[in-house]
Amino acid sequence: MAEGPPLVLVVDDDPDILEAICDILGAEGYRVARARHGLEALERVEAERPALILLDLMMPVMDGVAFASALRRRGTLGSVPVVVISADSNPDRAVAVGARGFLAKPFDIDALLAQVAANVR
Amino acid sequence: MSNEPRTETPAPEGASEHLPNDKRSSFLGFSAHEIRNPLSTALWSAELLARLSSEERGGARGEKLSGMCLRALRRLKILVEDHFLSERLAIGGLPLRLEVVTVAEAIASIAGKAGVVNLSLDLPQGLAVRADRGMLEHALEALLAAAAREGAPVRVEGARADDEVRLKVRGAPPAPDALAMPQKGTPSDPSGRALALYTARRVAAALGGSLSASADAYVLALPIAADPH
Repeated sequence: MAEGPPLVLVVDDDPDILEAICDILGAEGYRVARARHGLEALERVEAERPALILLDLMMPVMDGVAFASALRRRGTLGSVPVVVISADSNPDRAVAVGARGFLAKPFDIDALLAQVAANVR
Repeated sequence: MSNEPRTETPAPEGASEHLPNDKRSSFLGFSAHEIRNPLSTALWSAELLARLSSEERGGARGEKLSGMCLRALRRLKILVEDHFLSERLAIGGLPLRLEVVTVAEAIASIAGKAGVVNLSLDLPQGLAVRADRGMLEHALEALLAAAAREGAPVRVEGARADDEVRLKVRGAPPAPDALAMPQKGTPSDPSGRALALYTARRVAAALGGSLSASADAYVLALPIAADPH
């Protein structure tokens, strides 16, 4: 595994959300990878072994719940911590996917950075 | 434009749709979901811009964040307008200013806003409807934007049929249930048009017409008006 700043994988179908979060994390010194849906995220996890996944729930192709379920079946990769970022303000679904944290959009930038710092592996 | 005097009338009863609470809750939840994504981007990009020095704001990152903020606000504008228009139509609380509107003129005035790159018209000379111009343009913009999805060329075919005008808008084929009530759980629409077709259907009903979708076209039917010229 490459040494250096922790890699955070951001998974969201909204291109501007992806761009904004990657900008925020990049400015704080994190490395970032991005995926537009769960299937693409599984490929990124396999290839890049992130230290944390920021996961939207409502996405095309494969949603966040299906992604989390598939991730848990992938041996050691299943232990990568997940923080759910959702426009649905109900945190129950984040609990259901075994997330370490939950942020309801629109969340504060500082709340995002605190969740990342607390959960990055 | 016609010289015929405008008349103000409340939206017809058929335009208002009193939804059962579970459907209404689902619609409001969907609207909130769609609004939260661009609202997030607008807030974050504005806050990041505020944290930059004046020199940094003029640089590449500042330019990127400014563009992001503007896109998000434009998307929000469309969503908020559609949401409140839909809500006002639902309670029949919107007075309509009916006048004779030439279809070709109405389309010409909104084609640019709808993002249509390749537009062709097949309209009988002087084809006109009796409608509220603003409402008609709102519905047409939604249909053209939907048909122009992913750069598809758009063709609008008009015809007189008894006492109504039928406009077929062809382009990217309508998605299954495209005009049904939007539901939570569907992917976000980055163009901000997630509520547009739903709202357009309500507008069509308010104007005394209808909006439907076939496999390859949206069909807007509106009350016919005599050729103003």
